[in-house]
Amino acid sequence: MIEVRNLTVHVPGFRLHSIDLNVGPEDFFALIGPTGSGKSLLLEAMAGLVPIKAGRILVNGEDIGARSPERRGLGLVYQDHALFPHLSVRENILFGVRYHGLDRSTAHSRFNGLVHRLDLGPILDRSTTHLSGGERQRTALARSLMLQPRALLLDEPLSALDPVFRDDIRRLLRSLHEELAIPFILVSHDFSEVQYLANRGAILHEGIIEQNGAVRSLFERPVNRFCARFVGMKNLVACHVQDGWARVDALKIRIPRPLKWEGPAYLAIRPEDIGPADEGGRICDNEFTARVTALDGQGFIFHVSLEVEGVSLAAFWTRRTVDRRHVRPGHDILIHIPSDAVHVLCPEGAEDADS
Amino acid sequence: MTGAGPRVLLPSFPAMKSGRDTLFFSLLFFASLPLVLLVVLPLAKMLAEPGWVELRDAMVDADVLRALARSVWTSLAASMICVLFGTPLAYLLARKDFPGKRMVEGVVDLPIMIPHPVIGIAILSLAGRHHPMGRFLQDLGIQIMGTYTGIVTVLVFVGIPFFVNTTKAGFESVPVRLEKASRTLGAGMGSTFIRVTLPLTWPHMVLGMIMCTARAISEFGAIVIVAYHPMTAPVLIYERFTAYGLRYSQPVCFWLIIISFLLFVGMRLVSRFRAVDP
Repeated sequence: MIEVRNLTVHVPGFRLHSIDLNVGPEDFFALIGPTGSGKSLLLEAMAGLVPIKAGRILVNGEDIGARSPERRGLGLVYQDHALFPHLSVRENILFGVRYHGLDRSTAHSRFNGLVHRLDLGPILDRSTTHLSGGERQRTALARSLMLQPRALLLDEPLSALDPVFRDDIRRLLRSLHEELAIPFILVSHDFSEVQYLANRGAILHEGIIEQNGAVRSLFERPVNRFCARFVGMKNLVACHVQDGWARVDALKIRIPRPLKWEGPAYLAIRPEDIGPADEGGRICDNEFTARVTALDGQGFIFHVSLEVEGVSLAAFWTRRTVDRRHVRPGHDILIHIPSDAVHVLCPEGAEDADS
Repeated sequence: MTGAGPRVLLPSFPAMKSGRDTLFFSLLFFASLPLVLLVVLPLAKMLAEPGWVELRDAMVDADVLRALARSVWTSLAASMICVLFGTPLAYLLARKDFPGKRMVEGVVDLPIMIPHPVIGIAILSLAGRHHPMGRFLQDLGIQIMGTYTGIVTVLVFVGIPFFVNTTKAGFESVPVRLEKASRTLGAGMGSTFIRVTLPLTWPHMVLGMIMCTARAISEFGAIVIVAYHPMTAPVLIYERFTAYGLRYSQPVCFWLIIISFLLFVGMRLVSRFRAVDP
């Protein structure tokens, strides 16, 4: 269990303010946020590589905030793997053994277990400079896990990998987390990676935590406009909430349930949640005739710009949908926005949609 | 007609490109030649001039042998002192920002800019009886004027920028993340320095030592002021040239060049050894 209490870190040109986190052994915790938001700095502060100005870091109830990095018992795996280029794979994995008082037989069995588990046998005596991305990452993981860390900190572990290795390492990380039952804290820019691996997470912005909670709530129930934009809710428009409806100019959208708050708010809808209505299906709430204003093909996914009652909306549709429904700029199409995909951001201080 | 143009031009394009490349590289080659010849011709003349008899005579001349040995060991000693004290300084400059850092870097570079006789005079004035430091050193029995201590002091002075700057570049080329990874694996700062940073900087350090030794072996201007005697090879060459002429100085030059060459080749080979994790 890692608990971060009111952590403040000052480095030249940047500050982390009053960070509070709880990460249990069952948690695969994701830190997400724009570049320069302080995610990696927070990870390094936990690992003791950056001095902290104030606050506490507790691991299993023990305050490690004042300890040097080598005495914190936390594993850290970097994006570039940070393997020692002058040492072989074997020497890299065994690098930390001498500092942890492991007897020969324990070290030997742990080493063999990891080599087998991470399939490193054939490359043990190779130089780390001649490894594939996946092999490098597995070596870096083995090097950290060899010391049985109390938590594993992963700084963008997959971003430097080719897609083919990325899926393998993703699966490996998930199964390792299940096997080891220690907190994993992941810094990532890749939302699909975060959603695949993590169960909880936090969004950082300019050194503060904007939102902290279940990963699903980060992506579906952002607490403010920054979080909504950051997690990809491209449809973010000012609205007026009343009687279970949100009005945007002449457009009237059914919201999931009535809110105690009534008045000005923001409406947030993911572009993936706006789809063409069923052809010939019964008319239901939140079906609108939209004018297609632009179509931007991005491989298998098309970014479709729509206009409904003077309100611009963005939708992501598959190429198949675009072809099947003959979606063309200038054409009209019936669209559907499921009411449970509509998220209302109440003004700060007012009752939130989740409450 | 319009399609015929590209079909005709395309096959000849690679040949034309390679012809232009050849022309360009030929120009580079001829432009480089004067500088290379400036170094090679006088040295070749120097190496080819002395006959076998003169070379043999020089190698059995006790004064020449002593001067050559003196030059080699004082230069290596100066280089070792630079390693001992220059390595911490280089690491500090590479890894830490502190007030006055730019000034310290400027101070490290100073020996390159100062005329070498000035270095000799500066060291002598500090080590003389009129300076408290000189009196302190003499009370300890340390003499600078006309001693090996003086020679090595001068050689350290002139070698510092070569070792420190090269080694600093080496430390800078080691990613800080490697040191951080080492710390999270349980290694303290000292252990990280010895097991990670130093082995990766080793080739730069050897290069720094080579440059420092090379600078030291060729030093004349400062040595001739601080310690004309005991005579190092450059001072002996100068003395033989002024006293007896070109013919008597050339064999000593020959052996100094050969010994320096062998020394540097040897040091280069050392830098290729893979560091072993202690």
